[in-house]
Amino acid sequence: MGRDFTIKLEPLGEKLRVKENTPLKDILFKYGIEFPCGGKGICGGCKIKMLDGDIPLNREHQQALNKLGLSPDIRLACRSIVTSDLTLEIDQFETFILADSSSFRFTPAEGFGIAIDLGTTTLVAQLLDLSTGHVLDAVTRLNPQAEFGADVISRIEYAIRNAGLSVLQNLIRESIAAMVNKLIFRHKVAVTKVVIVGNTVMQHIFSGLDLTPLSAYPFESKKKAFYSFSPEELKFHTEINAEVLFLPSLGSFVGSDILAGILATRLHQSKKYIALIDLGTNGEIVVGNKDKILCASTAAGPAFEGTNIRMGMRASTGAISSIRDNGDGIKFHVIGNEVPKGICGSGLIDAIAVFIKKDIIDVGGKIKDNTDHIELKPPVIISQRDIRELQLAKGAIAAGLQILLDQLEITHDQVESVYIAGAFGNFINIENTRRIGLIEFQEDKIHKMGNTALIGAKMSLFLDEEDIEPILAITDHVSLEMIPDFQDLFADKMMFE
Amino acid sequence: MSDILEKLTVCVERGKANKVSPYPPDLKGQDGADELTAEAIKKGISPDDILQKALVVGMSNIGQKFSEGKAFVPEMLMSAKAMKAAMVHLKPFFTSGEVKQKGTVVLGTIQGDLHDIGKNLVAMMVEGAGWKVIDLGVDVGFDKIEQILKDNPGTIVGLSALLTTTMVNMKTVVEKVKAMNPDNIVMIGGAPVTQDYCDEIGADFYSSDPQGAIDYLNGIAS
Ligand code: B12
Repeated sequence: MGRDFTIKLEPLGEKLRVKENTPLKDILFKYGIEFPCGGKGICGGCKIKMLDGDIPLNREHQQALNKLGLSPDIRLACRSIVTSDLTLEIDQFETFILADSSSFRFTPAEGFGIAIDLGTTTLVAQLLDLSTGHVLDAVTRLNPQAEFGADVISRIEYAIRNAGLSVLQNLIRESIAAMVNKLIFRHKVAVTKVVIVGNTVMQHIFSGLDLTPLSAYPFESKKKAFYSFSPEELKFHTEINAEVLFLPSLGSFVGSDILAGILATRLHQSKKYIALIDLGTNGEIVVGNKDKILCASTAAGPAFEGTNIRMGMRASTGAISSIRDNGDGIKFHVIGNEVPKGICGSGLIDAIAVFIKKDIIDVGGKIKDNTDHIELKPPVIISQRDIRELQLAKGAIAAGLQILLDQLEITHDQVESVYIAGAFGNFINIENTRRIGLIEFQEDKIHKMGNTALIGAKMSLFLDEEDIEPILAITDHVSLEMIPDFQDLFADKMMFE
Repeated sequence: MSDILEKLTVCVERGKANKVSPYPPDLKGQDGADELTAEAIKKGISPDDILQKALVVGMSNIGQKFSEGKAFVPEMLMSAKAMKAAMVHLKPFFTSGEVKQKGTVVLGTIQGDLHDIGKNLVAMMVEGAGWKVIDLGVDVGFDKIEQILKDNPGTIVGLSALLTTTMVNMKTVVEKVKAMNPDNIVMIGGAPVTQDYCDEIGADFYSSDPQGAIDYLNGIAS
């Protein structure tokens, strides 16, 4: 499968080894690079500068560059394939917050700010120049709490059963401090504002709040409260002279990462209805406009992240991430151009969509010839149980959305735009999410938006609590477990029709 | 005569509740469980035969398919609806004692948890296997079960849990039930529950799917 090459990423200072002919898209998204137009090569949002080495151009790539009027040392990451050693500067960090062309009016401020997305799995911190809105630098890390379980419920359990709240709190605070201090150390600038967003459980742990109310019915969280901390108590570098603000949760399991998503999609300013769907374990969904916003967590489970799937894995090297059937045989894309080891969420969605179309899986989700699995690219398979697992996840999300729409008394057609958030969104094939009935909106309305939590956190660096409070005032959390219709809707939405 | 029962079996297995129901598409416009049960009773077929030779068989067939992954939650719920439609006609015969049920099972989702779909499937399967089911709903602690066990000693207790954080409440319920009567059977289930956990908390039976529970219950009944 060809040679290995070394890629250096600036300004991250990361060095990685990759196989020949690996698409850059496969490896860069892990480093927080976003592909605003979903890798179509039209927006230029993923442009990179070649400091050393060369990425060969094909006609299509050349045309895209010409159209965008970019200089010869620039490439679009979404169109690039590795054929030599490279040193790349990730241009995205030099561009404005929203890598797409839409405008976010902000009042330039003095100094520098840090936006932090405190995820259950990954932590990202970006340093911004508040006078220009440009991102100067970024650091990412894995959440060190992962050792105590992958999902939020296992963290809650650890915190409660083992009196482990302070252990988890210390771990996360140390990591965040290390990331912040690294940014300050590299840039030696005066930081005036730090904003953190994260799901409700991460917020509770970081803030040292008791998790017991989140462990059982009625799942109450300290909703809509801002928590602020002094840089000293968080052991931040002395050059930070600002309050550190953890944005408020919206209710129950819907956290400030989703509030940030509302900011990022500007749902709260829109006259028309907008929907936001986070395809993670909690499966948070939001529908609303400038007058009223409803949110819920659908508890989809980890199927989209490849967990509980026989050969499932995260979207990393060796995962089948997309499957296409163009009539002349099924084509598989394996991340990193390697021998496949497993399948990630986007691959699973594709596989099921392709096999429904080929009439190998029926509308109820049964494999038609009564076998218990379907072979993909050897040795990878999907099993009958994997299909069932996906049906639960997609059924929960689609049912939750239907309930929010019903409560707003609107239909799918009345929603103007739908944004998909979540790490694996980059690989997802929108047509196939429709085919399997995961997202039941018109295709041209659906947009992948990448890390909406981080985008929103960056935007909130320019906002005050008073700017955010009106959003909280029009936002209601819907507890899906209290909806009697859920079961029937859920069953209905599990079908592939 | 047995033709009706065969048709009824198919309706329960395939989830055809009544004539107007559009599901399943290939049975559109045909009589469903509702009409067929009424007809069977009118024709003088014994309610006990209707239960044992049609409903129980149909439910067992769909339960088997579900165990094998060949049917899933939507199909099971449609079968449940068909069975319910048939049961409406049979209820009077249960109360009159003309139809004998195998025993009573009280079911609920454990305290702190509101996930009830799995529990509902177990309830319909158990009922469809010829047992009387008392469904206590969700967020069920020992206090709700206690009165039932006092009124009907020996009632089998079934508990469901979907959250690892509330699963521990099963332990308390098992302890209290056993304190009342060490021989009172408690069975448990739900996605995070395991055989090890069942052994650990001293419950009598665990199964990952309803069919296992039916086999176990039928073993007790015979
Ligand atoms: C649907 C669903 C919901 C619905 C529930 C609707 C309802 N009325 O039940 C909604 C959206 C409301 C919901 C909410 C929550 N959920 Co939820 N939910 C799910 C989901 C998607 C499917 C569960 C389900 O119905 N399965 C189908 C049924 C048929 O399966 P089952 O229950 O396991 O039952 C089968 C067997 O276990 C067995 N069985 C069940 N009971 C019994 C009993 C006996 C005696 C026997 C013998 C057998 C048996 O028979 C059944 C048939 O085979 C799962 C994720 C997933 N993909 O599985 C998460 C999941 C269960 N939820 C989860 C969580 C965390 C929650 C919330 C706490 C938080 C949140 N994210 O919103 C809330 C709280 C709800 C509450 N108040 O209790 C987690 C639990 C994680 C954990 N480690 O404990 C899961 C696994 C998702 C995840 N995050 O990974 N949820």
